[in-house]
Amino acid sequence: MHVEETQQKVNKAKKADKKQRRCLAIIKNDCEVSPSDEPTTYLAILNVGLSNGLTEECLLMEAAATGGKVIQVVMLPGKSYCFLICASLEDSQHIYEGMHNISTIGQQGAVAYLSYVKQLPANAGKSEWNKPLPNGLHVIADFVSEEEESTLLRAIGGDGRTSEVTGTLKHRNVKHFGFEFLYGSNNVDPSKPLEQSIPSACDILWPRLDNFASTWDWSSPDQLTVNEYEPGHGIPPHVDTHSAFLDPILSLSLQSDVVMDFRRGDDQVQVRLPRRSLLIMSGEARYDWTHGIRPKHIDVVPSASGGLTTQARGKRTSLTFRRLRNGPCDCSYPALCDTQQTKVPQELTASLVAQAVTLEQQNVHEVYDKIADHFSETRHTPWPQVAEFLDSFEPQSVVLDIGCGNGKYLGCNPLLLAVGCDRAQGLLAVGRRKRQNVFRCDCLNVPVRSSSIDGCISIAVIHHLATKERRLSALQEMARVLRPGGRALVYVWAKDQRKNDKKSTYLRQNKAVNKERTTEQQQRQRQHQELEQQLPNNNPLPIHTNRTEFQQQDVLVPWKTKDEQKTTYLRYYHVFEEQELENLVSQLQEVQLIKSYYDQGNHCAIFEKISKNSL
Amino acid sequence: MKLSTYNFLTSMAIKGVKVGFPLKLTINKKEVVESEFNPTFVERMLPKLDWSAVYGAAQVAELTDDIPAVQPENIGENELLMQKLHHLLFEIDVLEGQLECPETGRVFPITDGIPNMLLNEDEV
Repeated sequence: MHVEETQQKVNKAKKADKKQRRCLAIIKNDCEVSPSDEPTTYLAILNVGLSNGLTEECLLMEAAATGGKVIQVVMLPGKSYCFLICASLEDSQHIYEGMHNISTIGQQGAVAYLSYVKQLPANAGKSEWNKPLPNGLHVIADFVSEEEESTLLRAIGGDGRTSEVTGTLKHRNVKHFGFEFLYGSNNVDPSKPLEQSIPSACDILWPRLDNFASTWDWSSPDQLTVNEYEPGHGIPPHVDTHSAFLDPILSLSLQSDVVMDFRRGDDQVQVRLPRRSLLIMSGEARYDWTHGIRPKHIDVVPSASGGLTTQARGKRTSLTFRRLRNGPCDCSYPALCDTQQTKVPQELTASLVAQAVTLEQQNVHEVYDKIADHFSETRHTPWPQVAEFLDSFEPQSVVLDIGCGNGKYLGCNPLLLAVGCDRAQGLLAVGRRKRQNVFRCDCLNVPVRSSSIDGCISIAVIHHLATKERRLSALQEMARVLRPGGRALVYVWAKDQRKNDKKSTYLRQNKAVNKERTTEQQQRQRQHQELEQQLPNNNPLPIHTNRTEFQQQDVLVPWKTKDEQKTTYLRYYHVFEEQELENLVSQLQEVQLIKSYYDQGNHCAIFEKISKNSL
Repeated sequence: MKLSTYNFLTSMAIKGVKVGFPLKLTINKKEVVESEFNPTFVERMLPKLDWSAVYGAAQVAELTDDIPAVQPENIGENELLMQKLHHLLFEIDVLEGQLECPETGRVFPITDGIPNMLLNEDEV
């Protein structure tokens, strides 16, 4: 027994040494802090920190129990270690001897390892918390008393009344009063008020806002959303839809504190929302900053001594009070404004008609000529359903690919006579190098005999035409060259990049959003800032942010070159609404729609030229 | 440009042009790219082609001895002619030359094997 115990002690010491060395290497690498063989007044706690839930309070209690005196705790966000500044060498030694390989303050009672260090990290003490709040953001502490908190929780149905509209989102429970907030459209339907309006218990709140409310667009709210967050729940960064609600937005935090992140572009500010406080988001904070809560169990917050500490979350209920806008938003923060991002002004439609040719010349043809080689590299895999269409023809059929690009479909089915045409010389040259049959023309005037072709494809072409008339004549031109009984397949980019809540490949390839490192809104904001400097201000069309949902139908889509200049070219697109392609086809002469479908973010249609006999 | 492609091209999109076919072909530089002869392929292709343009192309390509002015009947049984058609339509590749609208004289250049049929906005 005795031998075994000794052996165990030796093993434990060996393990501690090993662990200590590994941790010291980490802090040396992270922040240039070196260990000291002699005692110093600086102690590193090597394997416990903010990232694994250590609180300043807990650490101070453990240190105090050793009899050593601590001057300051230095915790670093996101780190699994921290530092103590001790009052004297003697205090430092007390703490080291009393805690190293003894104190079980780690996660699940893991033991802490300590080491003397020569200095503290240079950036210690700098914190996200010293930043000024976004303009228009206010947090009023102790806005309601504990008693009122209970009353409010009862009033919103904490006692089990569940007649209100409820739904379960991925990360939290919600309940609505006044109007239902619809998460699909991120909006409300003003014509459908709920039976249950905001509980009257909330009326005590509004008189307390008199000091603020004089400048607001409203004096009392008509919509309330209740969110219940269990520890570990969160809400992704978002801005409350501008056109849905007036300024400001109020949010009352009950039952637990939480930390909310506010972001604008690369700016980030963390705001602590104490239990029973009221958050007011007005002006810039309401319109131009996103807000969200990270899905965590523990928040890192400023400590009493001015450092950082952790705080475990409890169940939190938030009451968000808003007033419906009932009309377009007129704010002066366009980056996240749905009204300004989605509006197609009368002038725009008129200018598209007047400038279609110039626009297509500058923002389609010239761009494809410039990006031809890079573009071609990204277009090599045939879409399966297009290849399938090409395989559906009899051998020896003549098939024309209008807008063939680099000719990737011309070799798909070697049993066909496949001929391609395109407007872009650079892309045709790529196809020609592969010995394909190509000629140059535009899709509105195809220099091919009428009724001579068995099959036609137009893949991602007519969405580059700027007016409905031009899109229609491109389709009519396809119908003209088809022989009776001949079939055509058309693909156009869809405005809606989701089907049945499934993202298209185009959206799925947004890697940063997938990894929840950012949101579409943030990407839009960032691009807005970036392109503002690059591009002239008189751009007639909104610029789409790649790999995000389309905000409107007529847009400029950036293409960033791969070379060192990283030049951004803008391609014009008219993305199609559902049924829009089918409607165009129905207006064609001598043609009937065979099939239409949605394929990876595209609307697609197959139509057939009606044989003269069957007319 | 293969002469099978030539068979489909027209200048009818030009304002005022009625048929625009066949286009007047000039070959300045050509190449012969051998490909496997498949009699069925040629035979099934023939009904889709315009014989006058096939014959016209043969004239320009100096193959008139091989291709008759009028499409013979039961052409599928004439293996030799089929082989010559295969050569004419699928093996001769025009690298430099031009196509000319029979009605207006508008010239479409063929450069590096690619005919440029693009019209200006004011021509259509």
